[in-house]
Amino acid sequence: MNFQIIFRFTGILIFFLGVAMAPPLGVSFLYKDNCAKSLLLSMAITCFSGALLFVFTKKQKDKQLNHRDGVAIVTLGWLMAGVVGALPYLFSGTIPDFTNACFEAISGFTTTGASVITDIESLPEGILLWRSLTQWLGGMGIIVLSIAILPFLGIGGMQLYKAEIPSPVVDKLKPRISETARVLWKIYLLITLLQVALLLAGGMNLFDSFNHAFCTMPTGGFSTKNTSLAHYNSAYFDFVIVIFMILAGINFSLHYKLLTGDLKIFGKDSECRVFLIIVGVFILLVTLDIYGELYSSLFQAFRYAAFQVSSIITTTGFVSADYEKWPHFSQLILLTCMFLGAMAGSTGGGIKTVRVILMVKHSYQQIFRIIHPHAVTTVKLGGQAVSEDVLSSIWGFFFLYMGLFVIAFLAMASLGLDYISAISSVAATIGNIGPGLGIVGPARNYLEIPTAGKWVLNACMLLGRLEIYTVIVLLAPEYWRK
Amino acid sequence: MKIIIVGAGEVGFHIAQRLSEENQDVVLIDQNPEQIKRVADNLDVQAFLGSGTSPRILKDTGIGEADMLLATTDSDEVNLISCLIAKNLNPYLIKVARLRNEEYVNELPLILDKDHLGIDHVINPQSEMVRSIRRLMEIPGAAEVIDFVEGRVKLIGVLVDKKSPFAGRKLLSFTKAEGDILVGAIIRTRPNLPGQVIIPHGNDSILADDLVYLVARRQELDQTLALFGIKEKSLRRVIIIGAGQTGQALARVMDRARIGTKIIEKDEALCAQLSAGLSNVIVINGDGTDKELLEEEHIGNADFLVAITGDEESNILISLLAKGLGTRKTITRVSKLSYLPLMSAIGIDTVVSPRLAAVRAILQYIRPGKILSVAPLKGEHAEAIEAEALETSDIVNKPLHKIKIPKGVIIGAIFRENEIIIPRGDTVIIPGDRLIIFALQQMLPKLEKLLTVKLEYF
Repeated sequence: MNFQIIFRFTGILIFFLGVAMAPPLGVSFLYKDNCAKSLLLSMAITCFSGALLFVFTKKQKDKQLNHRDGVAIVTLGWLMAGVVGALPYLFSGTIPDFTNACFEAISGFTTTGASVITDIESLPEGILLWRSLTQWLGGMGIIVLSIAILPFLGIGGMQLYKAEIPSPVVDKLKPRISETARVLWKIYLLITLLQVALLLAGGMNLFDSFNHAFCTMPTGGFSTKNTSLAHYNSAYFDFVIVIFMILAGINFSLHYKLLTGDLKIFGKDSECRVFLIIVGVFILLVTLDIYGELYSSLFQAFRYAAFQVSSIITTTGFVSADYEKWPHFSQLILLTCMFLGAMAGSTGGGIKTVRVILMVKHSYQQIFRIIHPHAVTTVKLGGQAVSEDVLSSIWGFFFLYMGLFVIAFLAMASLGLDYISAISSVAATIGNIGPGLGIVGPARNYLEIPTAGKWVLNACMLLGRLEIYTVIVLLAPEYWRK
Repeated sequence: MKIIIVGAGEVGFHIAQRLSEENQDVVLIDQNPEQIKRVADNLDVQAFLGSGTSPRILKDTGIGEADMLLATTDSDEVNLISCLIAKNLNPYLIKVARLRNEEYVNELPLILDKDHLGIDHVINPQSEMVRSIRRLMEIPGAAEVIDFVEGRVKLIGVLVDKKSPFAGRKLLSFTKAEGDILVGAIIRTRPNLPGQVIIPHGNDSILADDLVYLVARRQELDQTLALFGIKEKSLRRVIIIGAGQTGQALARVMDRARIGTKIIEKDEALCAQLSAGLSNVIVINGDGTDKELLEEEHIGNADFLVAITGDEESNILISLLAKGLGTRKTITRVSKLSYLPLMSAIGIDTVVSPRLAAVRAILQYIRPGKILSVAPLKGEHAEAIEAEALETSDIVNKPLHKIKIPKGVIIGAIFRENEIIIPRGDTVIIPGDRLIIFALQQMLPKLEKLLTVKLEYF
């Protein structure tokens, strides 16, 4: 453990977050929304404390960041992001309570999109933009952003990158990690701007277009409207957002390959194929389920089904219809989507498609071995053999995910939540989705959850965003042993 | 520069590490998932799992925009085919292949033929090692010998003895009467600061047990060594332990040079085969770690013992054994770089490493432009670079003190018309001079930057 390095880097991160408060501050001046003072104060405090950490730690010349330090920096960095991200809410008085403000900030950075604010439309513009910006920064990852900007990290950057994006299949797009991070952020920015343009073309105002794009690409799900996308009740916006949610749920290295000329990559990549098939099948099932009594036209049924399935499976969490009123079959499909999640290497959360595919294949391999006890088989993904190490790490992940889910929902139930609210609130936060069912359903929010429950869910959001291992390794006594 | 390296074995891994630390874009290909994992965990390079001979994998690595391909696997054939396919995918690529089989190395024109394989450069670690062992035998007092300016200038590594008149003194205090001593780099080997590399200035001092790198003309080598209290003795008896590829090659060189040499090898069949090809060298079948055998062959009288079996731990023990029995000097083959800093502490004086030899040879080739020679110094944290000063560069025709040279870099020597000049503040470099520059590894990008603009080397 090298505390000097850990605090030094966390200091840099905090400073960055302070700098990121500049755009909301600018907007606040522009709209004269009376929160410029509180944003300026938050920015000053954040930058100052970041700089303080940096100045008071010594530069470690010959020591390289190792994997242990990387894990600590990433977890600590995300925790601190939750705290400093809460400052604008606290100072502006929009969310006066510390727990609630932290919940909103963590929900933002982890791209969950669970909110404690009831009347969103009454918020000042500066705060609204900060809320969306936390999602946009958290989506591609604050650490990845700093790796892209800071050239001096080198191999240390690798350790951080792996801790923040612990995908089971490592995919480095460029020889250097900083270059890879830059490419990812460029693609992310490009797709975001494209979405802004399309939303503008449909008649959404500039401010709302940016906010919604900032919350779609990271699969976040904050909206500037109380009723989320249902506010507009526009098929055009719904479908634009469906397309961009699915794009956000696809591995960004595939976007890179698409942009560098491989036009058929979405069909070629086996994980992407399965992901798109799952989305398609679920949309079909939900469409058939809700067509008839609820929605008389097939187009209406398809529109709401497509929106809600894509929104939940990519872990975005936008809402265009009150799915609490849907039949239980559709609701359970949505609950299933919460667990499945998007592709690895995307901005989405959940268990991730690649893990599901590999677990299914591995399970089938076990069945196959019962039939042919002497058969030699390998689990393959896209024609490449997958090693036993990767498989056991995936099963470990699955166990931890489900184990933590059970512990957390028991905790929520002990705080007095009904079982569907307890289950769905935990599933929706550990999978970084946002709205769940019951008291945290699409038409309501997380305000009613008791304080202790909010901290349980905060932990769930961080665990989910950093894919469990990165956070949980810090709790292992072995980690602290010299 | 984008460089593709085929093979993440010892040589490939190491070169990748060096190059990525120097901010080059490095892509590594290896078939072994374990190696790929090791690379991905430790280096900031892009790693591909697959065969370096697969056109698909090579295309995936973005060979189209690559500048160089280094084929460093253990298999000569894989290296050759990889270069051949790479040539077809990108005709402008510079291809460097590591080849071990002498059948290939002896037919270089065939390999280098532009119309066929079109390999630009062949690296043969074995022959590099044999050459460096030969150089060490020529100058027995030195721990390391590196040739510059076609061998007319030598860079020698010398261990400073406690009794040496220079031990414990600052470089500034050396007087003209003691002779011109040019110290380019100092490596501390004391147990409390192992492997610390210093690119010295006048205020730095030489301590006992340091490894000091000196620049000297070939003719003045004896005098310089004498200053350090090292007396030359003629080379008469050599014992080689281990008849692997390097051992055999070395034996053949010694055979031709008619130096009394014995080679000890465990494998009886190999011994028989070897003795058929040698006329002067005595081939002995036996275990090199066997003390009785060594005594029987009068190891105590040997001028040199070269321990180059495939097992490096045995090599170390054999050398220690030989030292104990009175051998004047030992040369030990050690591949693991992590062992190098420990060697002088346990009393092993001279170490050769195939990995270091290959890395050195490849790095020398990679430095583009007017860099003539590159030598990583022991422990690898510093390099000696030989470069030619160009007419157009900024460092010529003005006194050195007016040039901003980064810390950790010194111009160690200027070689002009068969004369070595030790540069001082008022020395003026003129175009055509050969410069020998010492630089710490982390200063290389800065040095390159300095040289890019001003020297047009890069």
